[in-house]
Amino acid sequence: MKAFRTLSSNYSWALDELDWPVTSEVGPGLSGVIASATRVSWLDPSSGTLEYRGVPIERLAGMHSYEEIAHLLITGNEPADDEAAFSTFRDNLRASRELPEDVIALIRAMDPGIHPTRMLRAGVSALGCHEMTVEDDLSGDRHWRELRIIAQIAALVAQIAAHRTGRGPVLFHANYDIAHEMLRALQDRDPDPEDVHSLDLLWVLFADHGLDAPTFTSMVVASTLADPYYNVVAGLSALRGDKLGGAGETVLEQILGLEDPEAARLWVASTIASGGRIGGFGHRLYHMPDPRVVILRKEVAAQARRKGTPELFDIARAVEDEALRQLAPRGVHVNINFYAALLFHLIGADKPMLPCLYMVGRMAGLMARVHEELENPRLYRPLDRYVGHPIRRITRGAEK
Amino acid sequence: MRPYTSGYQIQTYNRGLENLVVTDTRVGQIDGKNSRLMYRGYPLDELADCCTFEEVAYLILHGNLPTPQEAAMWDEELKNWRTPPQEAFDALKYIPSNAHPLAQYRTMLTIAACHIPEASRTDMQAQWRRPARILSWSAALAAGAIRHLNGKKPLPPKDHFGFSANFLYQALGHRVNEHEEKAFDVSLIVQAEHGLHAAAFAALIVISTGADLGSAVLAGMGALSGVRHGGANQLAFEDLAQFDQAKEARTWAQVKAAGGYRFPGYGHRIYKCPDPRVRVLEPYAKNLLADKGMTDRWRVYEAVRGEVESALGPKGIYANVDSITGLVYAPIGLPVSSFPIPFCLAIQTGWMAHCLEYQPRGAMIEPGAVYLKDQ
Repeated sequence: MKAFRTLSSNYSWALDELDWPVTSEVGPGLSGVIASATRVSWLDPSSGTLEYRGVPIERLAGMHSYEEIAHLLITGNEPADDEAAFSTFRDNLRASRELPEDVIALIRAMDPGIHPTRMLRAGVSALGCHEMTVEDDLSGDRHWRELRIIAQIAALVAQIAAHRTGRGPVLFHANYDIAHEMLRALQDRDPDPEDVHSLDLLWVLFADHGLDAPTFTSMVVASTLADPYYNVVAGLSALRGDKLGGAGETVLEQILGLEDPEAARLWVASTIASGGRIGGFGHRLYHMPDPRVVILRKEVAAQARRKGTPELFDIARAVEDEALRQLAPRGVHVNINFYAALLFHLIGADKPMLPCLYMVGRMAGLMARVHEELENPRLYRPLDRYVGHPIRRITRGAEK
Repeated sequence: MRPYTSGYQIQTYNRGLENLVVTDTRVGQIDGKNSRLMYRGYPLDELADCCTFEEVAYLILHGNLPTPQEAAMWDEELKNWRTPPQEAFDALKYIPSNAHPLAQYRTMLTIAACHIPEASRTDMQAQWRRPARILSWSAALAAGAIRHLNGKKPLPPKDHFGFSANFLYQALGHRVNEHEEKAFDVSLIVQAEHGLHAAAFAALIVISTGADLGSAVLAGMGALSGVRHGGANQLAFEDLAQFDQAKEARTWAQVKAAGGYRFPGYGHRIYKCPDPRVRVLEPYAKNLLADKGMTDRWRVYEAVRGEVESALGPKGIYANVDSITGLVYAPIGLPVSSFPIPFCLAIQTGWMAHCLEYQPRGAMIEPGAVYLKDQ
């Protein structure tokens, strides 16, 4: 048996193998708990390391498309290792964007004002009804299904984006990848290569990040051998909460209202002084700068200039500087949502679309981990400790 | 005793978080050594004997059996929510009728979730207004999904029927008799709460992110649909349905047990003894099957259970609740593919109670993973 000594701020480990059972310190929200062993990615907040399948994030971000990273996370192979396999993977992925007409009709029958995360959840659930029938015994090729879902989620998000802005259903071109087609749905025109680059970058950075709530929920559901659409509906349910998916929306609400860097600094100072929260700051894992932020900050600066709104970057920088000056000594740093929200905004996503767009990226890692879970499934079934009323009898009179 | 939700303890646990204590609870107690299950301190068999599902749901959520005034208000609240948004039923137009009814029902719930009151509020006051709505909408939508299996339209509720009678009326199109109603009601009572099983745990993770109660229930449903969990009652019944004669069934069970077959509806992570829920439900199933001239089905069940438990009982494998619920639902006339639905309706009560208990003091659930380096 292996005993782990852990600190609340540092709970990732890399080992050659893991022998169950394990002993560890268990803190609030199961921090310190080892819920699985994985080869998908390594996150070490103490050194600022993030690796997908052993490749550092710095070598991947900005240099590979989302499709390539999905391939890496799910299969463990870099596309260059086997170009024929990747090409099949990519073709399958792109072909899966064609959704059943009924599912598109269901989305289009919804009030466009409904929050896109709820629309997406309904769309995924309806899609599951089309893909899995009563006769389906789930014995087929799971791996393929999971790939398919990644592309289907992206297609649903694109359809939702088009529906929200009153445009007709999106028709996908097989020649174009997922990022290109998503931007076409968001911008209603053929996107610039710079914007495709930014969206791929965002999705690559969001593709996997440990057992966050949507991922872990999906793994728990997968462990019951539920069909993969249930995994995703459950994962999307965990995205709704303001502690997660809502974070990017808060950032935009706060930043877009600020006029210039000076106003930004004043706003930050008064917000912190009055005990308010600055969106996009603080992370349970990182008590040091998040490695993904550095990459995103550069991209936001470039895009803000390119779009003719350099002041947006200056304002963001002012918010970050002022917030860090006050919060860094308390171990609170800027997190990925801060610059990611601005970058999504710059490439044409409106605020409520942010959680859905984030989820498209996360699907690659989520499905990779679900797939890993299913190679040797073990039902997640922890315990609670009863501290309630001692055993008692029913006394008739009060009741029927 | 230090509470499990704050501070740090050293714990030892296995894969699947087996033996890991996640939190303290006052909701239910599973005694897997002495074959007992208590809700809020009351033994299950007593609740099944003298309470309705509505009363037990109130107990699980609120901590005490309702006074007559509380019971009347709770009934009223449940009845007020019996008509879900029309959009949720309209969604059936876009769903093939041969999809699994649980998946159809899930889809209707996801649509209904687009039309909930005060959707963005997740404070405790708003969350407490949700259980009655979720339970009643769920029942109406699930009944609609079962009707849709036969291409039939949903039926409006009957206000003077109780929860079980109304659900069965909306699902089957007729009023069931008293025996059927009581047996079904007891099946809901025995399945209304069961600690942090996979589905309740999934619900707890979701509520810990600051989500609304309905989102937590949807996550729970996902886990419940799996064959290792709620879907097992359908599979267990399908195993029994292969046989007309107890003798053939016995031989089959012997061969399968010797071959290491994992019988659906048998064995449990916590019970290494007979499942108290089975004990409570068996007489109802037996009587109902006798009423319908289906006693052979009962004998087949007894034969399989006898064989499995004599072969595997020494290893702690006994019939669990999934082995028996189908024998209540089949004589009532529910289609086999819908068997997971009543379990889902009932157990939502427990999920919601755990979520409402966790939310005020619980941190976001986010465990870690060990990275296995490539050799």
